[in-house]
Amino acid sequence: MDKVKTVCPYCGTGCGMYLHVKDGKVAEVTADPDHPVSQGELCVKGYFGFHHVADKRRLSTPLAMRNGVFEPLGWDAALNDIAGRLRTIVTESGPDSCAVFVSARATNEDNYAAQKFARAVLGTNNVDHCARLCHASTVAGLAMTLGSGAMTNSIAELGEITDVIFIIGSNTAECHPLIARHVVKAQQRGAKLIVADPRMTEMASKADLWIRTPLGHNIPLTNGMLHVIIKEKLYKPDFVKQHAVGFDDVVRAVEDFSPEAVERMSGIPAKQIVEAARLYAGAGNAAILYAMGVTQFSHGTANVASLSNLAVVTGQIGRPGAGVCPLRGQNNVQGACDLGGLPHVYPGYRPVTDPAVRTHFEQAWGASLSNRVGLKVTEVPHAIEQGKIRALVLFGENPLLSDPDSGELRHALDKLDLLVVADLFMTETARFADYVLPAAGWAEKDGTFTNTERRIQRVRPAVKPPGEARPDWWTFARLGTRMGYTGMGWQTAGEVWDEVRRVVPATFGGISYARIDKQDGLCWPCPDEAHPGTPILHRDGTFMRAGGQALLKAVLFDPKTLPEEKAKQFEAPLAGRIAEHPDAEYPFLLTTGRRVYHYHTGTMTRKSPLLDQIAPEELIELNPEDATALKVANRDFIKITTRRGHIVARAWVTERVPPKTVFGTFHFWEASSNELTSGDTLDPVCGIPEFKISAARVEKSSPAEAAKWLETIRDAYRVSLERATTARRLRPEPRVEESV
Amino acid sequence: MNRFVLADPRLCIGCYTCMPACVVVHREAGLQAYPRLTVTHTAHGTMPVQCRHCDDAPCAKVCPVAAITHREGMIFLNETVCIGCKMCAIACPFGAITPHGSGTDSQAIPTIPYLANGEEVTVEATAAARAAAVHPLLAWTAGERSIAVKCDLCHFLPEGPECVRVCPTKALCEVTEADLTREIEGRRQKATAEVGSLPSLWSERQA
Repeated sequence: MDKVKTVCPYCGTGCGMYLHVKDGKVAEVTADPDHPVSQGELCVKGYFGFHHVADKRRLSTPLAMRNGVFEPLGWDAALNDIAGRLRTIVTESGPDSCAVFVSARATNEDNYAAQKFARAVLGTNNVDHCARLCHASTVAGLAMTLGSGAMTNSIAELGEITDVIFIIGSNTAECHPLIARHVVKAQQRGAKLIVADPRMTEMASKADLWIRTPLGHNIPLTNGMLHVIIKEKLYKPDFVKQHAVGFDDVVRAVEDFSPEAVERMSGIPAKQIVEAARLYAGAGNAAILYAMGVTQFSHGTANVASLSNLAVVTGQIGRPGAGVCPLRGQNNVQGACDLGGLPHVYPGYRPVTDPAVRTHFEQAWGASLSNRVGLKVTEVPHAIEQGKIRALVLFGENPLLSDPDSGELRHALDKLDLLVVADLFMTETARFADYVLPAAGWAEKDGTFTNTERRIQRVRPAVKPPGEARPDWWTFARLGTRMGYTGMGWQTAGEVWDEVRRVVPATFGGISYARIDKQDGLCWPCPDEAHPGTPILHRDGTFMRAGGQALLKAVLFDPKTLPEEKAKQFEAPLAGRIAEHPDAEYPFLLTTGRRVYHYHTGTMTRKSPLLDQIAPEELIELNPEDATALKVANRDFIKITTRRGHIVARAWVTERVPPKTVFGTFHFWEASSNELTSGDTLDPVCGIPEFKISAARVEKSSPAEAAKWLETIRDAYRVSLERATTARRLRPEPRVEESV
Repeated sequence: MNRFVLADPRLCIGCYTCMPACVVVHREAGLQAYPRLTVTHTAHGTMPVQCRHCDDAPCAKVCPVAAITHREGMIFLNETVCIGCKMCAIACPFGAITPHGSGTDSQAIPTIPYLANGEEVTVEATAAARAAAVHPLLAWTAGERSIAVKCDLCHFLPEGPECVRVCPTKALCEVTEADLTREIEGRRQKATAEVGSLPSLWSERQA
């Protein structure tokens, strides 16, 4: 059996693994004992989430939608058709009538090629991806306050150095199991764990102090902690004076967040706020871990800024074991952002609005570039409805399940003149496409992924892609060439990466394939080949912001109405509120997230039977108190309704959720919570939707209603189309010759 | 004393890696493709629950066909002898025995019917794979008959239980008589030292 060293394709932890290949198929996955993050361990998805690679339903030839069915056609015809239609749309309606969604699941090379295609070939900055839906608040918030929107430390430091770990809004055990392992290791060493989460997650039940924050009430907690830290003089005056600006703003902003006031506002016990503040500020080295429970709010950026305030004021940043750690969700969401998969920046976070930066990229790419900031993922559906966006090209992303308010998005996708989707499978989104292109997957291609600690690691092909499937960089390069652009003549992923290094030397210059072939990746920034990489950012309080100082921001909060009067006392404060509150019609709150055995929209894990058998269906968490009131037994069907729509799914009666709260995922199209979430309440800074709170109604349902619901949703997602396509794909068909 | 596998809920992060790992090694050994341990969530913690290999095993006592026997320091269940009477599942105080009907991979944990319909291709693909892998005696029609499934300590693997090997936080361990003796001895030492550091209870009486 051949053994190929590569990186896990699931979460942002970036664990090292070996793929064992037998008869041209991945037969087994084993852990890499020498990997700096995973250290010889893997989780359930790492070990058992590979069967989809050889699944019969893999796309293996380009398909075109004709008369209501997908017809196979060769690459040559597909590329010509798509290039022709894009050219027409650009000529008729201008470059900004096109948008490209890049992919946090694909390699850095794929992402670089895709955004280059959008910017240099189409001429638009309408480039974005699902980071808009997960850590947009982090990328905007931490860039504003610290100068870089990325995790400040490396993962292994948590297990080895950190004394107090403060996890807020991160279900670490389920979403980043191998990071949770380092937290458990820290606890065994005697480190203390504080967890703030409305749900009783595995981390919450392990915590020394678990604060059951009500949904959406992070700012009262963090501002309350800051209040205690300032009143009790637990902050570091010298560090603040030397390395930060805006301290007075924070002092004034948290003045009326005394623990007692916070308890009145949110119900969080004052005692817990004081205890958390003392534990965190008093630690030798403290780290904050956070994720979607902080970012996915209409005040996500304010949440992030309040955490950065906490770290800077207490000096818990810029040294081993102390920092702010946003845990990125996908294998390469960090890389997709780094490589310019965002509407306002080129690769390396260089602003598209800066003329000097634009000149640099125009020269490097040999094309004139747009100076207009592009549309965000969350703005695109509306722009389609208005007729402003006519063509959408996306790959490795399944917005119909992952984006809020699926009903509205289905409506929008239908209005597009051209939708092109490249993926491994006929995804829910692909069924709405005009062209579906077969993509080579993580086990089939060369390239790099960047994990949440900014470690750029090599991904290596172990098996051949099915049929005519191609890496996405290849697809975009050929499409660019067909449209008359000459700057994408790469033959290998390595050539793409070398271009990245030349174009953004300050960040990636020193990270060559040769170097990361010899060691397990390097953390950017790494400007030259002699540079050892940068595992810890903002070292010794030298922040990456212009001027080298951190910015402390006034963060205000009122659950019901934006505190506008108070905001007038500050220069550009961040303010938060919650859009939907329970009322007589919608007395519950719905919150959303993931489970350990499935990954996002299930494209890969639901086609890996060992994972799918653990959880073949959605289970909505419902508190026993509510279950009794509704006369719902464990595993009974319930109907959840919000202002957007409804779903029917089975209930999991459990204390994991507090009373009057239900929790669901977006793994299953049969009952996706994103049928229920709102796409209208966006963060004003970064445009992230408020996934984490929707007012909802919960009712007892029945198997008959569930069966009826399935028919409805099956039609909405055009499931029959996938089955028709799959059935045809399973029959032998003439090989389509490539003539590109 | 029998050996057994036990998890520590303080270390378990509920990642479920142990369950499919268990399925894979048993399927390869020609046994039921079903997890022999079940990750269980409670308000007090989470851990996988599996057979304790009781020295006075109630399951073995109630088995009418002697499919469950005491053998080589464990409680052994012979899947080919089991008649599926389910008495052992009722007798087990830990819920560690699950009656399970042979099925395809995707049905190994029962799915609701409408989902099975949505995934026709999976069922078709895995049924063929399974037919080739399973012992002929076990290859009956899906769901027609259920037999008992329980932890066998992966006695067929030289490196011992697979769940212990794959657990990323090392929350699972195989407990042997020597381990238990060492642990008990250690606790006696600790207890002695603790009492030794207290003011004497007897000094007054002695005086």
